[in-house]
Amino acid sequence: MATAGICWDLAKAALRAQMEYRANFLVGILAGVVWQVTGFFTIWVILSRFHSIGGWTLGEIAFLYGLRLTAHGLWVVPFARLIDMDYMVREGEFDRFLIRPLNPMLQIITSRLRIAALGDLVGGVVLLSAASAKAGVDWSPVALVYLILVLIGGALAEAALQIGCAALSFRFLDTGGLRFLIDDAFNKFGGYPLKIFSGGMQFFLTWIVPMAFVAYLPAAVLLGRTGELRVSPVVAYLAPLVGLIWFVAAWRIWSWQSRNYQSSGH
Amino acid sequence: MTRTWSNAPAYAEVVRIGIRSMLAYRTRFFFSALQIIVQIYVLRVVFTSVYAGQGSVDGITLRTTVVYLTLANLQGFFSSSFLDYFIRSRVREGKIASELARPVGFLGQMLALQIGSTLAMLPLLVVAFPLAWLVGGMSGPASAGYGALYAVSLALAYVIIVLLGLIMGISAFWTLETTGIAMIYSLVAQFFAGALVPLWFFPGPLRVVANLLPFQAMGFVPVSIYLGLPDGGNPLAALGLQCFWVVALYLFARWFWGRAHHRVVIQGG
Repeated sequence: MATAGICWDLAKAALRAQMEYRANFLVGILAGVVWQVTGFFTIWVILSRFHSIGGWTLGEIAFLYGLRLTAHGLWVVPFARLIDMDYMVREGEFDRFLIRPLNPMLQIITSRLRIAALGDLVGGVVLLSAASAKAGVDWSPVALVYLILVLIGGALAEAALQIGCAALSFRFLDTGGLRFLIDDAFNKFGGYPLKIFSGGMQFFLTWIVPMAFVAYLPAAVLLGRTGELRVSPVVAYLAPLVGLIWFVAAWRIWSWQSRNYQSSGH
Repeated sequence: MTRTWSNAPAYAEVVRIGIRSMLAYRTRFFFSALQIIVQIYVLRVVFTSVYAGQGSVDGITLRTTVVYLTLANLQGFFSSSFLDYFIRSRVREGKIASELARPVGFLGQMLALQIGSTLAMLPLLVVAFPLAWLVGGMSGPASAGYGALYAVSLALAYVIIVLLGLIMGISAFWTLETTGIAMIYSLVAQFFAGALVPLWFFPGPLRVVANLLPFQAMGFVPVSIYLGLPDGGNPLAALGLQCFWVVALYLFARWFWGRAHHRVVIQGG
């Protein structure tokens, strides 16, 4: 409980620091919104000419996109500082986290909140609500609970990949490019029903990287489209659990790799 | 003009600086090239899916669309300008002072830097081109004539890209930042250049907007010429449009830089 209090205080301090640069802050949020809007806008333009992608209508794809966006915002807001992982290791900044009596990862999380990513969260929730009416999702209490769980599970799955790659920073130093590539790939693939990709690619996006569990499989469940999946519906129902397993594994790898940290010559 | 030529060794040195600074980021650069390959792959799959076996849509075959997207993205990547990011970060860190202190003109220096960075990027084409071909699709130009016109159009597109990057970078003298603006700009430019969806599939009103913006001259115009499908059927009119943007943007950049120069704030200086 004391840990939670400390985390809260650190996060508040980080937030105050960020509000110092108000213009940057606002432009940052706007950039986040534009980034995501262009992604969806592209799909909208394609659909204005072609009507459906893989049999999914605009409403259904908007729902899928909203799921992905919300999960994305949920992981980026707290974990934004991971972006600086290479820098922290190279410049010896990570020292600071080792001498304070709090788990280093918790310190990284609370050292900066990415407010810009709140744009993703807001956009995601708006899209999700608007699209669920259009796509005709049946909101039973079970469906609502499942929705909340898959959003958290999706955030954990994406966070897991990023934390796992950040762990490589302790040995290889320059991992920013790889992490940005993964983030970008989630952005590029994540908005489409994955059934349009080849079987091999779908296998890869399900079992090698957990992308399918973030939005496609959960959206198929909520839209009543599990019949078209290449995996058993049970796998899709268990999506939140898959995210959790990936996250726990990644956290462990990160802690284990952090023992390889060598402070740069001070 | 004589002054410019007597400064040639100085500009050559700035070109070398451009090459070196791009090579310093080669890992990042390598991964952004991979992003483009991924983009081409995803777009190919998406358009193959929406064509759903139809021979052609609006008179355009799937094959043409895929070649268009492959070339537009590859070309967009290798002709990209880093001047926006460069000037922004130099202004933010107060390091722009060292560029301003050099005894060669600022705009000329920026052009030389840009040429250096493009030269540093080109060797990667050896890997990126076959990969793009593999995940997307490629074909020769519609005819030898269109191929030659494409080369001219590509050169004009490059000048427009660099001028726009320069103008966006100079705006940092007022805004003192921000990477957010740079990101918004690159996304909007990419979209209206037609790198994600060919302009011929844009709905009417959006197409009107795209036609009024300079971005189509960066990507859509050269690629559509390559495919023998210039807007309105006349490749020379398309080249004329590009020339218009070159002149307009050049004049604007000169004027804009004149304004910016007078209000230089060196942060931390």
